[in-house]
Amino acid sequence: MTTMTNDVPAKPAASPAVEREAKDRRRALLLLSPGVLWMVLFMLLPLGMVIYVSFWTQTTFAIEPTLTTDSWERFLSSSTYLTAIGTTLKAWLIVLVATIVIGYPVALFIGLFVKSQTLQTALLVACVIPFWTSFLIRVIAWRPMLGTEGAINNILMELGLVSEPLTFLLFSEFSVYVGMTQIYCVFMVGPITFMIARIDASVIEAARDLGASFSTIFFRIVLPLSMPGVVVGTIFVSVMVLGEFATAASLSGRKVNLLGNIIVSQVGSLKWAFAAVAGVVLTIIISTVITLALRVVDLRKEM
Amino acid sequence: MEVRLLRPALAIYAGIFLLFLYGPMIVLAILSFQSQGGGPQFPIQEWSTYWYRHLLGLTETSRVSQLPVGDSLIRSLVLAFMTTVVSVTLGTMSAEAFRTRFKGSGPVFYLIILGMMVPGVLVGLGVALLANFLDIGRAWWSTSFVLHVVYTFPFAFLVMLAIFNRFDRSVEEASLSLGVSPAQTFRRVTFPLIFPGVLSAMLFSFTLSYDEFSRTLFTSGGDLTLPLSIYGTFSVEIYPNVFAFGVLTTLFSFTLLAIYGVLMKRFTARSKSRFGGQEDAQ
Repeated sequence: MTTMTNDVPAKPAASPAVEREAKDRRRALLLLSPGVLWMVLFMLLPLGMVIYVSFWTQTTFAIEPTLTTDSWERFLSSSTYLTAIGTTLKAWLIVLVATIVIGYPVALFIGLFVKSQTLQTALLVACVIPFWTSFLIRVIAWRPMLGTEGAINNILMELGLVSEPLTFLLFSEFSVYVGMTQIYCVFMVGPITFMIARIDASVIEAARDLGASFSTIFFRIVLPLSMPGVVVGTIFVSVMVLGEFATAASLSGRKVNLLGNIIVSQVGSLKWAFAAVAGVVLTIIISTVITLALRVVDLRKEM
Repeated sequence: MEVRLLRPALAIYAGIFLLFLYGPMIVLAILSFQSQGGGPQFPIQEWSTYWYRHLLGLTETSRVSQLPVGDSLIRSLVLAFMTTVVSVTLGTMSAEAFRTRFKGSGPVFYLIILGMMVPGVLVGLGVALLANFLDIGRAWWSTSFVLHVVYTFPFAFLVMLAIFNRFDRSVEEASLSLGVSPAQTFRRVTFPLIFPGVLSAMLFSFTLSYDEFSRTLFTSGGDLTLPLSIYGTFSVEIYPNVFAFGVLTTLFSFTLLAIYGVLMKRFTARSKSRFGGQEDAQ
């Protein structure tokens, strides 16, 4: 308590303000370096390693650091792998559109029509609570829901809507899309709600006073102002869906092979070089998507 | 459409949406009370807690093997704890650094954020390749641990950044210029202000790491963490013991959330009484 640390004698050379600024900057860099170092060593370096290994030579059970483009050639000439790229892009587009279409009205309701702040928060919390269940459990929970003896088929049979259980519900592309949409929809609802709730109420009131109909208000004010939310949500959902493999692995019955599944199965059979090629392809796709999305809004400015 | 009708229509839609979010978990919870003879589907033959007892090893051996949750649960908890400590420390330090303007803050910001964006299967593959290349053994406490921090550090960083953005630096400076030592200033001024943020960052880091699966898959070596044990049961036929396990982990998460809520409430109540009318950062 008695130690005084900042009784620094004035140095005549530089002005105190400049000196302090330099000291602050040194301190900032010092504080930052462990975090940056961690990210470089354990994220950038491994990602670089993936690119590097994609050019290694793959033998039956091992890889050798002899550079070759063999793995790339085999990847790009194999219909299995090319189909996987197509499947991944298709799943991404379908789930993305589904999350926007399903999530937007919810966000509109919470952000625009719910006036009470408490109720708004409560509804958002209600959307987030399922995330407190393990991801894998949430995926597996769709099995008793969609199976031939599952809840949905039971209800449909009970109501007499179908006479035979629907078999396309589980272990199909459909179940993968439904599962992913349910799991990732909240990442779309959240950012859009945030942007809509931020719209100044007086702007909408002014428009209404000037005689604008609801559709005019929606298309001219709410929709444009909520677009950054849609873009942020799109980035979240895209990144997560493109890197997915667990949902497809457990709900598709091996019918849907995403690039993520290819990576997992190749690693499983020790084909590290092929896994790396699939990884690089995945990276290229994801970077393209994020770059396109960031063209539309500047993420840092919006946060 | 008539606006008067739009509001109730959207309300009903939001209700259906919540049902969509909760439906599978509700069904799963109901089915976890299936009796021994019943499968992982309807109808419930008889209500029982058989699968919970089976999960905890309280039943005589059956043809369904027990979920290997014991050791992996401890590993996951330890891993989540380690991850929390390191990522909250790194997050707080980095966010503190961002209070000063410096060149290159943009790229550094994106570098950190990239950690939560890059797919787990990709960095997982990278770390596994790197470990093989350097001839380092892969284990949950080494290779998985560093990746978990890569994932949770950005969350801690963002939370702390939001806290620091809201708090006035002059409070600290006033304390320092009044001759209070930096250590005391941190304890009495800075820490109470950032504590809610630290608590939130801890909650994020812990739960994300505890549940992390894709980053662990290639990097954990032979000893499995909890999500990996669960994943192992996917390939074989599933039994209601997985459902019972799901219910229990969810309850565990809610317990964490409740502890967080209580700590937060106690803290805000205390700081309110201490700082009088001053608004507290929540």
